[in-house]
Amino acid sequence: MNFHTVWLSCGVVRAEMEELRRRGLINGELLFLDSMLHMDPPRLEATLTAVLEQNTGMPGCLVLVYGDCSARMLDLVHRFRVGRVNVINCAQLLLGRDRYRQLMLEEAFMVLPEWAQRWEHIMKSELGLTKAVAHDLMGDNRGVLVYLDSGLVPVPEQYLVEFSAYSGLPWRVETVTLDCMLATLLEAQVVAKAWAGQEAEVQYEK
Amino acid sequence: MIPQIWSEKLLATMINADRNGAAELIDQALAEGVEPWQVIADILDPAIVQLGCLWEEETMSLAQSFVASKIAEDALLRCIPEKSDTAHTKGAVVIGNIEDDFHSLGRKTVGLFLSAAGWDVYDLGNDVPAEELLEKALEVNASVIGASAMMQTTALNIRKLRQLIDDRGLTGRIKLAVGGAVFNWRPDLVAEVGGDGTVRNAVGADELFMHLQTEAQREATP
Repeated sequence: MNFHTVWLSCGVVRAEMEELRRRGLINGELLFLDSMLHMDPPRLEATLTAVLEQNTGMPGCLVLVYGDCSARMLDLVHRFRVGRVNVINCAQLLLGRDRYRQLMLEEAFMVLPEWAQRWEHIMKSELGLTKAVAHDLMGDNRGVLVYLDSGLVPVPEQYLVEFSAYSGLPWRVETVTLDCMLATLLEAQVVAKAWAGQEAEVQYEK
Repeated sequence: MIPQIWSEKLLATMINADRNGAAELIDQALAEGVEPWQVIADILDPAIVQLGCLWEEETMSLAQSFVASKIAEDALLRCIPEKSDTAHTKGAVVIGNIEDDFHSLGRKTVGLFLSAAGWDVYDLGNDVPAEELLEKALEVNASVIGASAMMQTTALNIRKLRQLIDDRGLTGRIKLAVGGAVFNWRPDLVAEVGGDGTVRNAVGADELFMHLQTEAQREATP
């Protein structure tokens, strides 16, 4: 069966998702939610639930492009019988599991392109971290800022310089292709299609 | 000041990412004669439990929770008692965050509490494959492995450790303690991943590990 696919994605990877569709590597409909919803988990979960409810009963399949971003993400997957990318977060989606683990071993703090634009607002306004506290906390737990450059926007060097000064961590750029992300998306789509296929059979039998 | 007030003030500093304020508060309590164990049990522990509840209720984001948790860890380190009698230990235990899990606070806190309670703690850190946890337990003759996971997806990786323990015929000899925020709001997950027990927070870890070690020793006795 050829299913129409809805990709319900965090806006943090909007550029990457749109690029994959532009290249014809994924097809279907792209829906994005504001990445800032991560700062308000109940709203994130409520919004995801609302969108999933809207799509219930629609023909085709749906893939959640979210990591373990809500405490009940897997419950949503099971409740609405949708696919989900098998990653713990968006950095792992871009890097793949092995490289992500290597960087975590290096105590890297990974910065995504979309997030880089918002670093100041998130760290200062959302988390309320003064420079001194941020310096301490980041220094205790992380060794380096790693900007994940997917090649779709210019590297925001000024932001990275400022974030580096604020956090006290050195920074570097790691180039990432979209290959790992694509493979993960397609794996999730297979699962989503299987769910949708079962649903279709049930509907047909009725 | 009564412990509840101290605790509420500490929680506020944690939520507001006020690391210095939290440190000052703990120092003040200690300076006013509150015993370190009482700071942990009556001030810090309720704040940590409340922090966990806020996470479970999802009124804190992952990022905020992370920052608050780091402050809790600071506070714990300020008042954890020095291990006094190294010659007399309760035994060896192995702990670690299971493969793919990088949320270290709960594990570190449990390690500190266990160490202070007289255990020889082998903390293998974050993202530890099941094989490594088991091999270390066999190497140091530990009766209990503590596997930690914060999220739903990573908690399921503990099933592999359960499988390994069973496949090696060690089911009774090595007990599996599991912990992390996800087990608090989803207790059924303990059985699903094959855990032999859990506790809601680090304060109860010593009792749980003692209980599991006793069970393991009893089952190992012919």
